[in-house]
Amino acid sequence: MSEVLNPFGSEIFGIWNWLDAIIRVVIMVTVMTVVVMYLIYGERKIVARFQQRLGPTRTGPAGLLQSFADALKLVGKEDLRPKRADRWVFEFAPFATFVPVFITLSILPFAQDWGVRNLPLGLFFMISALGLEIVGVMMAGLGSGNKFALLGAVRAAAQMISYEIPLVLSLLAVVMIAGTLDLNQMALQQDRYPYVILQPLAFLIFFTAMLSELHRAPFDIPVAESEIVGGYFVEYSGIRWSMFMLSEYAAMWGFSIFGAVVFLGGWQFPMGEDWGWGWQLALTMGKSLAFIFVMLWVRATVPRLRIDQLMSFCWKVLLPMSLVQILANGFILVYGGPYWLLTLTSSLGAAVLVAIIMRQAFRRSSTKTLVGAYRTQLQVPAP
Amino acid sequence: MATEVLWWIFAVAIVGVSAGVVFSRSVIHSAIFLILSMVGVGAMYLLLMVEFLAIVQLLIYGGAVTVLILLALMLTRMGAGGAAQKVDGPQMPFALLAGGGILAILVGVAVSTSWPGDVDDQPTGISIELISEKLFQDFGAPFVIASALLLVALVGAIILARQEDAD
Repeated sequence: MSEVLNPFGSEIFGIWNWLDAIIRVVIMVTVMTVVVMYLIYGERKIVARFQQRLGPTRTGPAGLLQSFADALKLVGKEDLRPKRADRWVFEFAPFATFVPVFITLSILPFAQDWGVRNLPLGLFFMISALGLEIVGVMMAGLGSGNKFALLGAVRAAAQMISYEIPLVLSLLAVVMIAGTLDLNQMALQQDRYPYVILQPLAFLIFFTAMLSELHRAPFDIPVAESEIVGGYFVEYSGIRWSMFMLSEYAAMWGFSIFGAVVFLGGWQFPMGEDWGWGWQLALTMGKSLAFIFVMLWVRATVPRLRIDQLMSFCWKVLLPMSLVQILANGFILVYGGPYWLLTLTSSLGAAVLVAIIMRQAFRRSSTKTLVGAYRTQLQVPAP
Repeated sequence: MATEVLWWIFAVAIVGVSAGVVFSRSVIHSAIFLILSMVGVGAMYLLLMVEFLAIVQLLIYGGAVTVLILLALMLTRMGAGGAAQKVDGPQMPFALLAGGGILAILVGVAVSTSWPGDVDDQPTGISIELISEKLFQDFGAPFVIASALLLVALVGAIILARQEDAD
């Protein structure tokens, strides 16, 4: 078996492959847990500043230990299981959600040749593993025996499967230019300019679809507290609930690093590899934190969408735009057009996308759309 | 040797979870067993050193099984927990005929075909370039026809599922 797996990894510590893998996974888990705790702290602080509050201030200096206190509290809580729940489905759902997120973290390059493992098909592996996260969500929703959990899971399934298509297509546009699926190679190619300059439209589509895949506002319909009291994990408590939180924030971090590597040049841009791995690590982390900050900014600013707006935005706007992007890339690359032409076409597309979003956002509400007609004409039967 | 042992472990596991798909009494359990079975087939592809197909297996079927659960929820009348439902009705012999027929055809085709590149102890690593050449150049027309067929099936399933609302 080791000769099958050997091409996946390059040995750094100069020890056996399996021991090396275990050491790296342990480091990864530790770093991930700490990062997730401070992401939660950071989210509370930043959103609080946006809302003119202070956020956590009491636990430790400036509230820095708040997440640790919360984690301790969660571990001590009783692990409840509703009587109507499907036992094994209910209990394994948090793990089924967490495992895909974790295995995606294990293939990301944090610096040059620095990660748990580097796959030649890394980008593709990332997409497919993240696609499996929905299975855990469905298990949680359907196993809870609760109608709010079921609603949340069905919404999550519809949303994640729909937005996976523009996400993959926008990444495909970049892969067409890079000519490789290896994330390390991809970052290596962006030493002079990151792919966001060549493909701003693909970047916008990727970022939007990413928000949706992560259930962040304004696409947090599956986990909307005010509508369905939290969605698919409404019945969970204690350690299992904290596993859902862990996988949510770890996915946020992993997606941010992924986006930073693919679109912003990862550890390469703008200084190159000359300054050593410490600088590269700082660069990757800085870019991913910038991603996360924008996500929090959007969360604090934009109100939640309706489910029909969400779906029509995906299928009528994002999907055609990403297909147009791929078509334009194909023509330019096949006929050997210069790279500035890619930038030009993609920027035009990005401008059109932003214009569509702005037009929708500033449009006056009317009853002419599908839901408006439903509201005024059809009689909703009493429950 | 190690590969052979792993092959047997995965083969037995795939058969086991596939039996679970058929015999479990709730749609949700069936779907979860189905995902495990797909993961097992993906591991088989890894043993054959076709990493690309292994990842495709997970990518396609992870989403597909979720859609399958949703369609099962839409097409069958059952509670949120996926309560057991007795299988009977006038279509039972036809379902048996269709299932048995497909099984007979698949087994017959698989046994009677002489597979190219069928070499013992020789895993064939196939690159993405080769797969894409075969798919988009040599077999371009079947690929398009198959995608049209899938689209028709998808639209048909949605229409069937939506009709229940109109009753």
